[in-house]
Amino acid sequence: MIERLPLPAPLAALLRRAFYPEGSFRLPLPAQLDRVIIYGGLVAGAVLTPILLVLIVLLVINVLTAPELVFWLASAVIIGGALGAVLLKNIVHAALSLVMTLLGVAAIFLLLGSEFLALVQILVYGGGVTVLLLFGLMLTNATDDPIVSDGAQKPFAFLIGIGLAGILSVALVDQVWGAPTASMVPFRELGKRLFLDFGAPFEIASLVLVIALIGAIAIARRDRPEDTEDAAMGDGA
Amino acid sequence: MAGDIPMENFLILSAILFGIGFYGVLARRSAILILVAVELMLAAVTINMVAFAAYLDPERFTGVIFAIFVITVAAAEVGLALGIVLRLFRDRQTAMVDEASDLKW
Repeated sequence: MIERLPLPAPLAALLRRAFYPEGSFRLPLPAQLDRVIIYGGLVAGAVLTPILLVLIVLLVINVLTAPELVFWLASAVIIGGALGAVLLKNIVHAALSLVMTLLGVAAIFLLLGSEFLALVQILVYGGGVTVLLLFGLMLTNATDDPIVSDGAQKPFAFLIGIGLAGILSVALVDQVWGAPTASMVPFRELGKRLFLDFGAPFEIASLVLVIALIGAIAIARRDRPEDTEDAAMGDGA
Repeated sequence: MAGDIPMENFLILSAILFGIGFYGVLARRSAILILVAVELMLAAVTINMVAFAAYLDPERFTGVIFAIFVITVAAAEVGLALGIVLRLFRDRQTAMVDEASDLKW
């Protein structure tokens, strides 16, 4: 695999030693992910390193401040990951590209002063939702046919997507917001507000989760033959 | 902290992300990739609400509370939708939305 990558010989030897060592030491990586890790790392590095360099130069010559650097880098990660998620042909790569976007969104939350939301974003999305999506891909057709084609309405979808983003952006820029500044969301106050003022919606949200999970189990459960026999016997008795 | 970044930057980032997600929902055929695109749109809306909470509503930050509820409901939605997709795949041997068109006359 590594031999087929267009890499200079010393780098290829280094990668080869990292992934397929002769000695006892081996990086604790699943061998099946080698290709995804190497290609994804190379592509992400090739795209993000120039952006990071330009931003650091701008920071050094005082065109940008440090929060703005974080914002533009996170924006690059978010937009790049989102484009990968909707454009990549291989569905597993598209689902993995979503992780990039969601981690970038967590960085934006940190920038906006909501550490709690950033942590929740990484735990729920980076952990749970991505693993669920990958399981869904594995249990449907990803192993037989990982390449999917898009629908026939793709050009219209492109026009509508561009048009929607453009209309929203123009409307946002046109509005006079009065140049407000961001402020930190205090952790303690957030807990008070969530559990006191929004106590009833919080409880309803827990109910929604329970109903959704029971519903998911009921829908996805395999109909076993003995179950239907039991039901028939129960009806007879 | 984002003190000196104009709020419009966050809102335009969110608008672009929403547009990309909308494109994905319309253009993709695989049901799970449509779910991925829906996640993009939800992330865009969450950025929007957190930006409004941090900039315009710093005393009560209702947007952050709403973002928590959006994340909760999105997690429930993914679990339920994947159950439906698995069922569809078991009954029809396909996870493409245009091949499950029984209600289209």
